[in-house]
Amino acid sequence: MEPLRASRARDLPCAGPRPVSRIIDPAPLVGTWVNFDTASRGLARVVVSGDGAGGSGNLRVRAFGAGSPAPVDWGEVAGEPFADGVTLQAAVGFTAVYGFGGMRVMLASYLNKRLLVVDAYTRFHDGSGRAGYFARDHFYIP
Amino acid sequence: MQAATLMRAEEKLPEGAAAPGLISDLSALLGAWFNTDKQTGGVVRMVLAGTPGDFTVQAFGAAAPEPLDWGKVPAVAYAAGVASPAGMAFSAVYDFGFLDTFLAAYTKSGILVLDTFNVFKDGSGRSNYFSREFFHR
Repeated sequence: MEPLRASRARDLPCAGPRPVSRIIDPAPLVGTWVNFDTASRGLARVVVSGDGAGGSGNLRVRAFGAGSPAPVDWGEVAGEPFADGVTLQAAVGFTAVYGFGGMRVMLASYLNKRLLVVDAYTRFHDGSGRAGYFARDHFYIP
Repeated sequence: MQAATLMRAEEKLPEGAAAPGLISDLSALLGAWFNTDKQTGGVVRMVLAGTPGDFTVQAFGAAAPEPLDWGKVPAVAYAAGVASPAGMAFSAVYDFGFLDTFLAAYTKSGILVLDTFNVFKDGSGRSNYFSREFFHR
């Protein structure tokens, strides 16, 4: 058996047998997450869904942008769940990408004590001259 | 998914503000950044260099006897808002063949916070994983 390749020490299991499954359980992320800041101009809420324990590990993300008179539904996209280490199965974060024609938004998110932190990395390619920008919002499940 | 010009309120330029075009000030990002945790098993240090049109990151992973040089890759700078010319965050992707590592980082009060999202492609059974680390200049 060939040794595992690694880009850094953290890529390797600490001890014990090699992991046998790479399916990550999205359950800790699943739910309707509402922004703590009701006046946020970023994301109003994020809905994360999965296919349940023992499933394929698929994750879906549906974000809603702050808008008036109602939040803007961004639609649902596939997300990628991540664990806290190479031998763990519980999801602690996800990424998802939205493409809106003239704008691309990468959501990079993680759990912190049942608070969901969502960082949005936004790039424009619509000729508007707006700067690509970073924004962070914090969410809870009511 | 339909194209739209405004998906969040914060995408709108403030009244009277001009669009800055390219992010022209990278001073908050450029330089050598060192992990606050000298025992980290993740990223030991990063060097952010270049110009707004040619911005790069070079990361070094924790390894013995020496950190592993990941090489230099293009990075994308982000400002704190659509009207700001000053970069305060960046993203970059490393493709190691067996692993893709997405770097997502931002600065806050002189500290650089790095999130990595790691996707294995080698069928080794390792879980894709997330890490979060802190750096100082």
